[in-house]
Amino acid sequence: MKQINSVCLIDDDPVFIFAIKRIFKLSDVCENFTVYNNGEEAIEGLTQTIASGKHIPELILLDINMPIMDGWQFLDEFTTMTVSKKITLYLVSSSIDPVDFKKAKEYELITDFIIKPVTRKTVIDLVENMIQNQ
Amino acid sequence: MKDVYNQLFRTQNVQTGNDKTNSFLDTIQQSLAIGSWEVDLQTMEITWSSLTRSIHEVEHDFTPNIEEAIHFYEEGKYRELISMLFDKAVNNGEEFDAELLIRTAKNNLKWVRSIGFPILENNKVVKILGVFQDITEKTNTFKELEYKEKLIRTTIENAPNGMALIGLEGQIIDLNKNFCSYLGYTKKELMHTNVNKLSHPQDINIIPIHINEMINREKDSFECEKRYLKKDGSIIYCLLSVSIVRNDANKPLHFISTIIDITKSKAINKKIEYLLQTTKSQNTRLQNFAHIVSHNLRSHSGNLEMLLELMQEEIPESTKNDFFPLISEAVNKLSETIQNLNEVADINTKEKQDLESNNLLDFTNNALGTFRAEILDTNAKINIDINNKIEVLAVPAYLDSILLNFLSNAIKYKKENSIPVININAEKINNYVKINIEDNGLGINLDLHKDKIFGLYKTFHQHEDARGLGLYITKNQIDAMDGKVEVTSKVNDGTTFSIYLRYEAN
Repeated sequence: MKQINSVCLIDDDPVFIFAIKRIFKLSDVCENFTVYNNGEEAIEGLTQTIASGKHIPELILLDINMPIMDGWQFLDEFTTMTVSKKITLYLVSSSIDPVDFKKAKEYELITDFIIKPVTRKTVIDLVENMIQNQ
Repeated sequence: MKDVYNQLFRTQNVQTGNDKTNSFLDTIQQSLAIGSWEVDLQTMEITWSSLTRSIHEVEHDFTPNIEEAIHFYEEGKYRELISMLFDKAVNNGEEFDAELLIRTAKNNLKWVRSIGFPILENNKVVKILGVFQDITEKTNTFKELEYKEKLIRTTIENAPNGMALIGLEGQIIDLNKNFCSYLGYTKKELMHTNVNKLSHPQDINIIPIHINEMINREKDSFECEKRYLKKDGSIIYCLLSVSIVRNDANKPLHFISTIIDITKSKAINKKIEYLLQTTKSQNTRLQNFAHIVSHNLRSHSGNLEMLLELMQEEIPESTKNDFFPLISEAVNKLSETIQNLNEVADINTKEKQDLESNNLLDFTNNALGTFRAEILDTNAKINIDINNKIEVLAVPAYLDSILLNFLSNAIKYKKENSIPVININAEKINNYVKINIEDNGLGINLDLHKDKIFGLYKTFHQHEDARGLGLYITKNQIDAMDGKVEVTSKVNDGTTFSIYLRYEAN
């Protein structure tokens, strides 16, 4: 059995999605992915999942800069939703703007901030951390 | 007429006449403050009345001769004048009446009015009768008034600002030179015209409210900026001040207007505003650019890095060609460049408020710790002379980066086959701490490189690690903290960097 059942990727960059999926698979961490290309899609998708009583992903990797609904807007919306299971959420962005770091600290939901590019080591550390905290 | 004077002033040595008449005439003389005198040309005797004596401030029994009497007049033009007048009276029988200056026996200067009447007998002047009056006070008051009036007139006329008296209806009553020259008219053209005609049409409504308030005694003056139209049609920007003048019964009489030409400072202000606007928009563009660099470029180069890493893991055979290592290197360089640009952009957008007090010696020791391996490797000798109480005002990350950069340069650019010696010292100069980092390394040809030593992507040595970024970033960081950096260097001798950072008093 894989370490993580399902990972939710919210990012508008297909290259990043492709690469991050491969890293997870290579590291033997997870093989189930739900991908949303912006915040709005993610909210809709997750709302449906919750409504149909299916398992929602244990780990969410959320990009900040996205069209339609960005990462911050997603978080504002997502905070209001009732989720039964504990979810680990990482902000994943290539932004190194200190304003973003500061803002990230204001959200209880955010476990940590990961700066792109993501390497295999980052993923392995992340998963270890997650399992320890469960 | 002469008889009257005879009657009035021949008060002493009068053979005829009695004592009662004499004292009466004396009393009159005293109350009129007019003395009399008499010169008998046959005996050359002079007679002064008591008031004449007291004007001269002499003893009551003083009797002068002609020469002495003349001598009381102030030397120069007044003495010459009285001599001349007296001569004419004696020789030609001419009367005189003059205002003259005397110096009394007590050495006081007094203005006097001296009147002389020659008395003729058989067509020959035998006697001069005279009247003598102290007019000092009157003359002084008059002269003072005259002086003050002139002073005020010239002050207004030559005032550095334009000044005008304006009637209650707006008509110009009087105005000075500068008022005319500001507006390009002559005084004649402006006198009695209405001042509103000179106003810029768009500014004509500024004034009436204030005028009404002043007339209604709600205020006594006001000030505003106002444009006027010059005779040639051009615009002059003025600072206008108007105050109201009222009489003793508080009834408004007229206004005093002064104008100062502020056209030049207006133009400069406009330019400053324009520059500020330009700078602001450029700064915004720079920040946008920084954001593009920070996010968009980084995400692409990040993706490339990830893809290359994956490719290496998943399809190892795809890397076994001449292209892959080159692509890999190019991607790494690209990422590094973007990282560098980010650092630079970050400095330029950082606020000064992040400055903290930092112990310089601690920071220096920390920075040196980073180079432990290199120092052992090169046998470098490091001499530190920094008082452990010196605190500098800096962004901690910048101070780290600055010290690391200069120290790493000092070690990196050592002379081949020689042991690096690095002296680090600090001294307080006014509100700054001057940190000197001196090495005995390769040195930099400042004649060649002075202007670009702190420039972006400038390198001065064929060193493999030289990126040409360290000094640029360092300089930017120092500037951002209100500091400065100086360099002295000699090729094959060494380089000294002097860094000035703000001193934090404990």
